[in-house]
Amino acid sequence: MDDLELSYKEANSPFHRMDPFSKTLYVLAVSTTAIFNSSLYVGIGLFVLTFSCAAFFSGVSLHAYWKLGKVILPFILILTFVFPFFYANQLSVGSEDIAIRTPIKDLTWAAVGFGALLGLRFLAIGLSGLTYAFTTHPSDLVQGFARRGLDYRIVHAPVLGLVLFPSFLQLARDISTTQRVRDLGADLHPIARKWASLKHLAFSMLLMGLRRGQTQAMALDIRGYGAHKTRTFLRPIPSSMAGRVFGWTCFALAVGYLVLQLGNLAGHMPWDFGG
Amino acid sequence: MPEPAFVVEDYSFWFKIPGAERRLALDSVSFSVEKGSFVLILGESGSGKSTLALNLVGIYPDYFGGFNEGRVLINHRTKGLVNRRELDRGERFQTVNMLFQNPEDQVVTLTVEEEVAFALENYLVPPAEIRERVERALDRVGLQGFKERSTLKLSGGEKQRVALAAMLAMEPSVLILDEPTSNLDPAGTEEVLDAIRLVRERADITLVIVEHEVDRVFHQVDEVLLVEGLTVHGPESPREFLAKRGMQVRDDMGLWIPQAAEVSLELAKRGVSLTRTHLTGEELVEDLGAAGAREPAAPPPETTTPEARHLVEAAEPVITVRGVNFSYPTKSDVLSDIDLDIRKGELLAIVGQNGSGKSTLASCLTGLFEPTSGTVNVDGKPTVDYKFADLARRVAYIFQVPEKQFIRKSVYEEMAHGLKALKVPADEVERRVEEVLRTVHLDQRKDSSPFLLSHGQKRRLSVACMVISEPEVVILDEPTFGQDWRQAGRLMDYMRRLADAGAAVTFITHDMRLVAEYADRCVAMKDGRIIFEGRPHELFSSPRVLTAAKLKAPPVFEFSRELLGESTLGTAKLIDQLEARFGRPGAVVQGS
Repeated sequence: MDDLELSYKEANSPFHRMDPFSKTLYVLAVSTTAIFNSSLYVGIGLFVLTFSCAAFFSGVSLHAYWKLGKVILPFILILTFVFPFFYANQLSVGSEDIAIRTPIKDLTWAAVGFGALLGLRFLAIGLSGLTYAFTTHPSDLVQGFARRGLDYRIVHAPVLGLVLFPSFLQLARDISTTQRVRDLGADLHPIARKWASLKHLAFSMLLMGLRRGQTQAMALDIRGYGAHKTRTFLRPIPSSMAGRVFGWTCFALAVGYLVLQLGNLAGHMPWDFGG
Repeated sequence: MPEPAFVVEDYSFWFKIPGAERRLALDSVSFSVEKGSFVLILGESGSGKSTLALNLVGIYPDYFGGFNEGRVLINHRTKGLVNRRELDRGERFQTVNMLFQNPEDQVVTLTVEEEVAFALENYLVPPAEIRERVERALDRVGLQGFKERSTLKLSGGEKQRVALAAMLAMEPSVLILDEPTSNLDPAGTEEVLDAIRLVRERADITLVIVEHEVDRVFHQVDEVLLVEGLTVHGPESPREFLAKRGMQVRDDMGLWIPQAAEVSLELAKRGVSLTRTHLTGEELVEDLGAAGAREPAAPPPETTTPEARHLVEAAEPVITVRGVNFSYPTKSDVLSDIDLDIRKGELLAIVGQNGSGKSTLASCLTGLFEPTSGTVNVDGKPTVDYKFADLARRVAYIFQVPEKQFIRKSVYEEMAHGLKALKVPADEVERRVEEVLRTVHLDQRKDSSPFLLSHGQKRRLSVACMVISEPEVVILDEPTFGQDWRQAGRLMDYMRRLADAGAAVTFITHDMRLVAEYADRCVAMKDGRIIFEGRPHELFSSPRVLTAAKLKAPPVFEFSRELLGESTLGTAKLIDQLEARFGRPGAVVQGS
């Protein structure tokens, strides 16, 4: 069940008091800005904003962020430190000397800045996403979107996935173990053996998954899931004026920046430290 | 005349298979159940118990197909007795509902409060009322204070109680419980059955239960229904049912009956006149004890003869475990300081609660896990020095859920797989497969897909395909899970024969009747440590170990001590001794 550490963490922080829609605006604003941003300074600003939100306004320890964040850290480090070697004006792509033989001293400031921007981009997106996951109760998420007219079953599906995923994962592990115990494909070439294992795993998972799925669907049905178009919610949805203002402000700034950015993209490399 | 909770009138249910005649599952069934009663449904594995339950709720045929005729009338809280069909879906499920076997299939939210409120939210109950009903439902199953708990961190028993509370929150008139303890360990089973008792005391509800823990349930129920040959017999009171059909359901249908009833019925069969059929050990003690059952102490019972045990103890260990510790990356001390010998010719039981380390130990024995420290030697060689495939051929591991183990398209191929891996000649493979298929009564199904067999057949196949290559050690995880008395007995007899032929057989189980009747030696585990190693009799005689490992001796062990001053592990010896005392002509054993 450790797989589910990503789920909601109870606290009473400004982010916990925000409604899910405002938080969605915040994540959307950060993500679009980060993706389309080409300025290192804006990248740093986004990182500072998301880090501050995570550290001071989410009520969740940075250790919790680290526990999950460390999984994607290698990916971010690769972006940050390897991609600069592929940046324009380094040795040409296709050359034998590219990347592994490019001396560090030959890196341009523009290339280093490019790497930093990539890293900051994913750090900002990751931090805002985790803040959302840690501070949004699944029921609030369902409720927030159901109130805006979305079918609650569609929004509840990820919650169901979150609850049911570990048992599905366990099933896959158990089947893989039995494949080992029974030495499936022992007489085959390693690649053919792998293929045989995958085929068997897929078939067994499908069969057993469908059977369990049928019981689970039945269990949902007899508890009125989908009996009505809407449902009531025991848990009052959190909402704060400050949260709404914050969410919409982030969104408006992102839209503004995006418009500005689209006009300025051609021929300008603002991540160049060297000016 | 008592008011009925539901009435089934001339009800039939069948499936239509393309190109074939209709296949009946229930044929002209008629019975009624009294309001507020507690009813037990019994029947062979595959006899249609669950089909009957699903038809009562209306899941069959409305949701999963099939055809029916006849009527099911349900006592609606305000409308009185109405045809189930006249109620819309919401009303129906709030009148009659069902709890499934596996709590994992029913829990769909992240906290206990949300889980119990889930159905009420779907049925548009106002939040204030939901709050009240959630409190009430949790109180009824003894889970006050659990509201904020994460459902992902609950034990199996707690999860099943939460699922029960979620059903109770809908306040149905009739609740059907389909083997609610079958996936639980002894402590979880105890919790759920206690919760059901609480519900009986605190709620105005009719409960219908399909349950194999007959020793714990039989004396609590008001009536028993028997599903047999597409029809339903009863309802009858438990005593009436046992007196009339007890031996038949045990011997002909292969069902479990309470051990006290078994003793009582066997004595009656052997000519001892008893004034009633006994449901519990207390009743037996009350009647037979008053009639002077106790005599000077007999020597402690043995499951094997002293000579045979001497041979087993002297046998060379095939697996030696020394100082084994094991930790997962996320959890330390899953196993601590394990020392254990597994000997040829011996049936060894490993018992303990879920999470006590039994399966992890089995995984270390089979080489699936490498100990963090310490050694596991198979035939004197550390498991880590074996090629995994070679070790798997020496140590066969049979999983709890047979389906997870099947890797071939037909029963025959499944059986032949292990032998082919050993490069056994084709004609020899064929001969041995045919022979073992006959032994496990699967020769008629050799071309079928393993996935299409019945549960009992799947279990037999899973065992047979692992032992066909004659491994030195056989390790079984919950060998009798989901099986009735006859199937369980056959399987364990087969294991006994394997052990007698020289294999070392180890089984992990929660079933103490199995341990008592079959194990030569047992190991009790708690928190990753072995807290007991010895004979079953010694285990059940140690209240300290039983309490620590949350285990319970089989009922016969307790009431035989009360009756004879010495405990017996099975009913056979007790019956013989009681027959010797009371079986004189004309003797009548009467309760006080």
